[in-house]
Amino acid sequence: MASSSSSGLTFKLHPLVIVNISDHYTRVKSQTNPPPLTSTSATVNGVEHQQQAPRVYGCVIGVQRGRTVEIFNSFELLYDPSTHSLDRPFLEKKQELYKKVFPHFYILGWYSTGSDAQESDMHIHKALMDINESPLYVLLNPTINPAQKDLPVTIYESELHVIDGIPQLIFVRSSYTIETVEAERISVDHVAHLKPSDGGSAATQLAAHLTGIHSAIKMLNSRIRVLHHYLVGMQKGDIPCENSLLRQVSSLLRRLPAIESEKFQDDFLMEYNDTLLITYLAMFTNCSSTMNELVDKFNTAYDRHSRRGGRTAFI
Amino acid sequence: MEGLVTQIQGLSGTASDVLSLQNLLKQADDSLHAESTRLPPFLDQLDPSKHSLGYLYFLEACTAGPVTREQASSFVLTIARFISSCVAEQIRLAPDKFISVCKRFKDQVLLLEEPLRGVAPMLTAIRKLQLSSEHLTALHPEFLLLCLLSKCYKTALSILEEDIFEVDQPRDLFLYCYYGGMISIGQKQFRKALELLHNVVTAPMSTVNAIAVEAFKKYILVSLIHHGQFPTNLPKYASSGAQRNLKTLCQPYVELASSYSNGKIADLEMYVEANKDKFESDNNLGLVKQAVSSMYKRNIQRLTQTYLTLSLQDIANRVQLNSPKEAEMHVLQMIKDGEIYATINQKDGMVRFLEDPEQYKTCEMIERIDSSIQRLMTVSKKLNVMDELMSCDPLYLAKAGRERQRFDFDDFDNVPQRYNI
Repeated sequence: MASSSSSGLTFKLHPLVIVNISDHYTRVKSQTNPPPLTSTSATVNGVEHQQQAPRVYGCVIGVQRGRTVEIFNSFELLYDPSTHSLDRPFLEKKQELYKKVFPHFYILGWYSTGSDAQESDMHIHKALMDINESPLYVLLNPTINPAQKDLPVTIYESELHVIDGIPQLIFVRSSYTIETVEAERISVDHVAHLKPSDGGSAATQLAAHLTGIHSAIKMLNSRIRVLHHYLVGMQKGDIPCENSLLRQVSSLLRRLPAIESEKFQDDFLMEYNDTLLITYLAMFTNCSSTMNELVDKFNTAYDRHSRRGGRTAFI
Repeated sequence: MEGLVTQIQGLSGTASDVLSLQNLLKQADDSLHAESTRLPPFLDQLDPSKHSLGYLYFLEACTAGPVTREQASSFVLTIARFISSCVAEQIRLAPDKFISVCKRFKDQVLLLEEPLRGVAPMLTAIRKLQLSSEHLTALHPEFLLLCLLSKCYKTALSILEEDIFEVDQPRDLFLYCYYGGMISIGQKQFRKALELLHNVVTAPMSTVNAIAVEAFKKYILVSLIHHGQFPTNLPKYASSGAQRNLKTLCQPYVELASSYSNGKIADLEMYVEANKDKFESDNNLGLVKQAVSSMYKRNIQRLTQTYLTLSLQDIANRVQLNSPKEAEMHVLQMIKDGEIYATINQKDGMVRFLEDPEQYKTCEMIERIDSSIQRLMTVSKKLNVMDELMSCDPLYLAKAGRERQRFDFDDFDNVPQRYNI
């Protein structure tokens, strides 16, 4: 598998496809029964059962205009392990249905999950070649790697290369960009963050809002830290000075708020104090209610002459 | 005896050796007690900083019998030296012996009528015995008693600042809070005194004890001085025994509180005169007088709620003081203590009452609130832990199960109950 394609096509991927594939994988993984082994029986068997991550398969559809290939949507397909191919009749039925609604969409290729493309995938790839002469293979890596910065999605094309004198089809990686429309962005965001759709109670809304702000601030903090580290290195002389970067940093700094007056301080501190006081009050209420319950329990348990009779229900 | 000494000297090295030494000493304890008069010379062979456990056993056996005045002073020296140089880990293996040694130390110091000599060693002893600063040992009330008798209140305050979460014996808590309350009153820290006395009065007790009764009397008086009012009902976390009986046992004080709330100084003073001997017999006359003088403060504070400006003469009339000069003195004192906000215009003798100038705009306020929030979070965590412990308590579950309302047959499940046949 070579590293870059030479076909000259530009690929645009919509986030809906990514969400679809990941949802498919998650569903299948959570629906397969977990291995019933405990740690003791594993040692008895002597064989370590590795939980094989299930692979899911499907088709991607979209539009090809000139040199630009835009992948809009995807649907799922069953993989037949005996024939090592995808379910063909189902695929054709689905293709007809989609044609009725989206006449411009073509089957552009197929998707699967895994960490890397495998040799057996070439079978499926070749089978699709009669629908589309150069199908795409979209691969999603479901393992969560916290160090990784970009999306674990790769798009492969097939190219005919001469290896050891034999012309062979191999997968080559292609670069892609993410493209989205406003409507799609809102709905994908909604689904991805699992926001309570009916508004939820005030507490869950507040919690969701604050979590969002917290993660945003955390990301901002880590990026500023990276910049700071870089600048310190430049100052010490470990890293060669790069003037364009320094200009960008200084323009960023100049955009910071420039209010430093007395009135601003006063108002800001007053508002800060108000928020702190409210938090304090909330904690107080929380503590008082815990203490109240504790005292009630204590009195019931240990006080010899406590009030007999049924406890009234709290309304 | 000599064999024991050599064993102590040999086995005081590592922790496991010390444990085996402890077993030996426990077995030899009776023989030590039997020969208590012969023991003092052996003490010199042992080094308190290395052989603390052995020294402790010997010391405890030495001091077990009745002690004369001459012996007392030498023992006081030995024990004080021992306390300052002993090793905390070894001491904690035999806490009751240590506690009894320290208690005898206190008795001897009192016998010599020099409580001041005992204060510093007792403080060191507490620090060595405590498992953590939240732990109340039996030595705390002894220490506070020595501080009270020797009138060095400031040292006591450092101990009183710590929050207590674990208590060994309930009696320790009662005595500790009572003495602590008295020390705080002596230092005029009425808020702390109120808190400590409140703890005594509302502590769980199955029967009312004398400490709680005395504490309740002081509690009423301090509450009048600090708050200007006395809540007639104890909070619901006070034991039911306390709620019913304390008020009847402290009748004169309760009546004092009710006449205080009427606001008339003349009536109050008459009442105090009438019951003077009762207050004196409880050693509370000083507090009662302070309560009476705090009445003036209360009345002046009430004036701030009605008037914006007032002349000194008017203040004197309303508060039933004798002259504007006295009124000015009172108002000045209150402004200095931060109890009211006012300015006195000396030219025409007018007093202007002001609002609280705190604007909550400063960084110091932020730090204060932030530290309070942090403290509250730790308290909340502890409370949650206690609440969970309580919910699993079998006594509680038994009673809660019995009192539940039963809605349908499924509710009759197996909660342990007693059958009253």
